[in-house]
Amino acid sequence: MTSNSAVVSIKGLTYTYPGSDRPALTNVDLEIRKGEIVLITGPTGAGKTTLCSTFNGLIPHFYGGTMQGDVTVLGQDIKTTSAGYLATKVSMLFQDPSSQLISATVEDEVAFGPENLGIPLEEITQRVQSALDYVGLAHLKERSPTALSGGQQQAVALASVLAMKPEVLVLDEPTSNLDPVGTMNIFSLLGKISREERSTIIIVEHKLQELVEIAHRIIVLDDGQVQLGGSPREILAEDAPFLYERGLSPPQVSLLAHKLRSRGASIENIPLTIPESLDIFSTIIRTLEATPTSQSSEVRSQVKVCDQSIIEINGVSFQYPNGVVAVQDVTTRFYEGDFVGIIGQNGSGKTTLVKMLNGLLKPTWGTVKVFGLDTQKSMIHELIRHVGYVFQDPDSQLFSRTVYRELSFGLKNMRVPQDQWRDRIAKVAKQLLIDKFLDEPPYSLSRGDRQRVAIASVLVMDPKVVIVDEPTTGQDPRKRREIMELMKALHQDHGKTVIFITHDMDLIAEYAQRCLVMKEGKIILEGKPHEVFLHYDELEATNLRPPMVSLLFRALGERYPVRRDILTVDEAVDYLTSRGVP
Amino acid sequence: MAFEYIRGDTVLHRLDPRTKVLFFLFVTVLSVIIYDPIIMLCLLFVVSIMYRLSKIPLIKLVSITKTLLPVFVMFILLNYFVLPPRGAKIYLYLLPGMAPVTIETTLLGITSALRFILFIWLSRLLTFTTSISEILVGMVKMRLPPEVATSLGIAFSSVPLMISQFSSVIEAQKSRGSQIAVRNPIKKVIAFIPVVVPGIYITILRGMNVAKTVEAKAFTYNPKNRTFRKRIRFRSNDYLFLTASGAFTMIFLVLKLLYGWFDYTFLLRDVFKLL
Repeated sequence: MTSNSAVVSIKGLTYTYPGSDRPALTNVDLEIRKGEIVLITGPTGAGKTTLCSTFNGLIPHFYGGTMQGDVTVLGQDIKTTSAGYLATKVSMLFQDPSSQLISATVEDEVAFGPENLGIPLEEITQRVQSALDYVGLAHLKERSPTALSGGQQQAVALASVLAMKPEVLVLDEPTSNLDPVGTMNIFSLLGKISREERSTIIIVEHKLQELVEIAHRIIVLDDGQVQLGGSPREILAEDAPFLYERGLSPPQVSLLAHKLRSRGASIENIPLTIPESLDIFSTIIRTLEATPTSQSSEVRSQVKVCDQSIIEINGVSFQYPNGVVAVQDVTTRFYEGDFVGIIGQNGSGKTTLVKMLNGLLKPTWGTVKVFGLDTQKSMIHELIRHVGYVFQDPDSQLFSRTVYRELSFGLKNMRVPQDQWRDRIAKVAKQLLIDKFLDEPPYSLSRGDRQRVAIASVLVMDPKVVIVDEPTTGQDPRKRREIMELMKALHQDHGKTVIFITHDMDLIAEYAQRCLVMKEGKIILEGKPHEVFLHYDELEATNLRPPMVSLLFRALGERYPVRRDILTVDEAVDYLTSRGVP
Repeated sequence: MAFEYIRGDTVLHRLDPRTKVLFFLFVTVLSVIIYDPIIMLCLLFVVSIMYRLSKIPLIKLVSITKTLLPVFVMFILLNYFVLPPRGAKIYLYLLPGMAPVTIETTLLGITSALRFILFIWLSRLLTFTTSISEILVGMVKMRLPPEVATSLGIAFSSVPLMISQFSSVIEAQKSRGSQIAVRNPIKKVIAFIPVVVPGIYITILRGMNVAKTVEAKAFTYNPKNRTFRKRIRFRSNDYLFLTASGAFTMIFLVLKLLYGWFDYTFLLRDVFKLL
């Protein structure tokens, strides 16, 4: 097969899932050539995963449904070729890493695919070692995959598909559980595999800015149809604002250039990367009058943190029964009216720390006081009156026949008089826009609405503090913002103190008033995001990276007298406009 | 944790998984024919020695046994509801006119409880010293179709994940005030509904995801010619171990069938004449 021959060829594909009356894909035409790295993006529900499931024959063989049109993969018609055979040529990594781990050890997990191919034992051993070396987990090969962090599980899942040495590699959001540096490492690795192995790589992702340098082509899907297709430069030079409006995240530097250009700034080429944007913005900044620069003066208007500490953590450490010390000697405070983001690399102790705030875990050493209650001596049902904890996966808690019953569960447990239930539930349901679903079964709702039900079921207990653990994982940028807007409204309009855990630095930049950075169980940085994101080296050491626009202004600040603490695109536009950029 | 494998290079670790399964069967036969609690205790002692030889941390054995203690007591108590042998001396009744306490029913209850502990100790010893992939290959060698053996292997491997997912469900419900740790058994069942329902949902999802994953990893491509990385074969130790344990079981079986030995009062009444 020559380098230009089509590896995947799709003509007029329309597909409808069994039981659905609406097609998930409509009239899709697509051709992917050997050796290409293709990025497929689009909002949640656009049909990205459905499209990818045709590449290895899961559609139509596994899912069933009705399919029209033609799909050929490596010359094989997927309708007449078994999924088992296609899987020997096309490997697919699914979105949720933990759901696809099936073996007792990391080594067994990576070997599972090659074993199915029936290749000699020596080659399997060599492939397993090389795949684990690729993802940097060779030292954990004897561990159970379930004992690993989310990021490590994702790396194991990736190694397990790499070990099959497929001709086509399909990766569905391969970095959804990874921290920023882990994400960059995986994308560099994919670039390396593409160059060295000449594999065709198809990646479904929302993280456009990290992929523009390695992707040859971007396909934008929406509502089951191909909306845009072309090289990253073609797509982003013209359509970055369009992508943003569709709820996606184009590179911040591209968006900034577009925004300034729409205001009249003379920007001929839209940059995609920091080095490109550095040249362009250097030219702009050189033309500005030299005005004094103040650092981080503008703390956002909604800050209303007061000095009243409501949670006091003193010298706290936590050790799990298996001996792992997840939190080490942490001392910090949370204040009334706080809106705090907790960030840190995978396995840094973020979740363990917040689980100690409502008594789910008791500190092994030190004390946690919540509104004066020592969590060591208090029962969990006393603590949850003050601190509500929303879990990442709504499906791990919904069980009732109707949303109303689901929301009344906490009230019943807290022995709230029954005559108060209806009012409290109605109020919270309205606030979270789920009032029309009160008589519906929770499992019949969309994932986004189920998440709102899960949040409402905690809010109905009226805690003063709301903890949300990675609420945006696996969501597209628009959904992420929707969830964070909800948190912002709870904070601003309903006076809740909000603590959230995330890997998304853009969300920290946009929403958090304070942030804590954790590394190896310790808090290494604490402060306003404007201050914290100036500590590039410490962040880098904990696998975190400030937002792209912050990195741009850091680089500009090394050359010119400009503010280095810019966090968001809007902040950059305002700042440059105030400095005289048209 | 169920199906936990502790890596090691001891005699037991090195035995072929088929040997261990057969040994398990021999001990099962022994435990069925033996009713004497003292001999049952001796069997437990032998198994504890095997734990020691396999270098399984003592804490593991202690924690397994601790969790079994309530069941141990339950076995003994329930046995008092079985009618005692005719002529047995009744010391007291647990309930007015019900559940007579006799030496015979006490000994029988203790034996049943010890037998239960023996089963758990043995099955855990098997999983502590045998990796899932070895068990899987062992099953294939015992003529189980590779698809079935691999599916069982996946099911065993899923246990830790399912436990962790159930723990998350419990934590989520505790965060909404659910009091799972109630003592009243009826209230406990009701309290577990919010755990069981999402648990079932997650389990069904897990099943679907596993099916999709194995299909995408070419599991159905050519299962008969699948390569198994683990290679197992009988060595001299296996033959020795099987011969010894097989002979021991046969002797006990013959003594039981011919002479009726190992009744629940065998040592105390017939041998030591204490009763």
